[in-house]
Amino acid sequence: MAEPRFFSKEWADAVGDALTAGPSEQARGAKLQEYWDFFELIKSMYPASWALGCRDLPAGLGAGPAYLRVQWAGGVVTDCRIVGPDDPLEATYVLGMDYADWKALHEGYDAQRTVMYRKILLEDGDLLEFFTSIYFFVECLSVIAAVPADYPALARR
Amino acid sequence: MTERKSPTAVLHEGPRALTDDQVREIEESDLAGVLNVDIDDVIEYVHKDLKSLPDFTTLYRKYLKQRWNVYDLDFTQDKIDWKEKMTEDERQSFMAIASGFHHGERQVEIELPVFMIGASEEEKIHIAAQIEDEARHTVFFDRFYREVVGFEGDDIMGILDASFPWVAETFVGPFGLLAYQADEVRQNPYDERARVRYGTNYFLWIEGVLALSVMKVTLSYARWRGFLPAYYTGFTATCRDESRHVQGGMRYLQDAVRKDPTMIKEIHDTLRTILMISGVNSRQIYYEPLGWTEDEVRMLFFLQLRRKLNDVGIDLSPDLEELLQQVQPVLAGG
Repeated sequence: MAEPRFFSKEWADAVGDALTAGPSEQARGAKLQEYWDFFELIKSMYPASWALGCRDLPAGLGAGPAYLRVQWAGGVVTDCRIVGPDDPLEATYVLGMDYADWKALHEGYDAQRTVMYRKILLEDGDLLEFFTSIYFFVECLSVIAAVPADYPALARR
Repeated sequence: MTERKSPTAVLHEGPRALTDDQVREIEESDLAGVLNVDIDDVIEYVHKDLKSLPDFTTLYRKYLKQRWNVYDLDFTQDKIDWKEKMTEDERQSFMAIASGFHHGERQVEIELPVFMIGASEEEKIHIAAQIEDEARHTVFFDRFYREVVGFEGDDIMGILDASFPWVAETFVGPFGLLAYQADEVRQNPYDERARVRYGTNYFLWIEGVLALSVMKVTLSYARWRGFLPAYYTGFTATCRDESRHVQGGMRYLQDAVRKDPTMIKEIHDTLRTILMISGVNSRQIYYEPLGWTEDEVRMLFFLQLRRKLNDVGIDLSPDLEELLQQVQPVLAGG
């Protein structure tokens, strides 16, 4: 079966399921339990939504900028869908990243460095509030990156 | 390196008074002479001028006198110590701490230029010098990892890639925040509130608390064991550089609050976020091979934070005091 296209509805559905399920056992085994306890605490009460943008989504994938909108409530993702450039964009935190960096993240580039090196940037939202749950966000970014998808080698810098 | 007291002795001794001779030794030692300077004296020296903070021109004049050449260091003995004298446990603990610095120096180097835009002319000169310091510190770690640890890489990023596996996942807390704060300042370079939030994370927390505390762990180990003389020399000189950065940063924050007392809210809000994520560890770092326990290191963090706040006259709000109590360990026997 072919993998869903990056930034397709099928991919967004898979991302929503993966985020609700959380990090893999392999990822969990590499870090201390107290870290995952903090992660689960944040996850259980996280009330916010993210709009994770791809600034230059290739035309073959729908053309950008487009956003993956993720709504959290009660420890699960209650809504996960693609929001196009012409749709209204409402989210607690809006972040943006180039297609090449999304692709690199999928191919194994570190999620922590993706934040630290400003490959993904906060475009709208309260920065200090956002960082109170930064470990949760970074782990979720890794989960999103690991969802199987077709990332065509179209956009190169 | 004649004195061999325990690495944690200063925790039990408390603040010390520096004599004029000690201050002169710290301020005027050339790079070779830095090997004989006690790291505890340099950390104390950071606080010496915090109550009457020097102006930026004075700090720049000190920079010109204290600037050192990172290529003058000879890591030959360090390589012998690393490979033949240190145990595997000691090497792993050292790497876990030094790698945070390797990446941290790079981060504070590249995130600082935007802060210069909204600064006074005198502060711009001081910041320009600080950027050069941070670049030199990045090269210092690049040399240490290549010549002592034995990492190979085509360029500076290649060596950063090699040491990254030792960096804890929680590193993104203060350093990711700094990257995003720098972007906030880049977009609005004259937004004084954004600058104060940035300055609180950069100068007070990262440089004043994290850096000075963790520097002490590896440096007091090196002094205690008589190992890694070039590392001790270069990193103690780095600590002397940091004293100027912390004093300049505290000067900036103190001036900002004096000019507009409502700025204290920005400092408190920033510290609240930092403290909320500071009590969590993602991996076990064994400080014991270097002569420390985790609680002693964290106690060092909070001693450094309290001293900075007290010295520059910044009070904590009641909720921050409570948060600090929650994350601050009790030092057994302290």
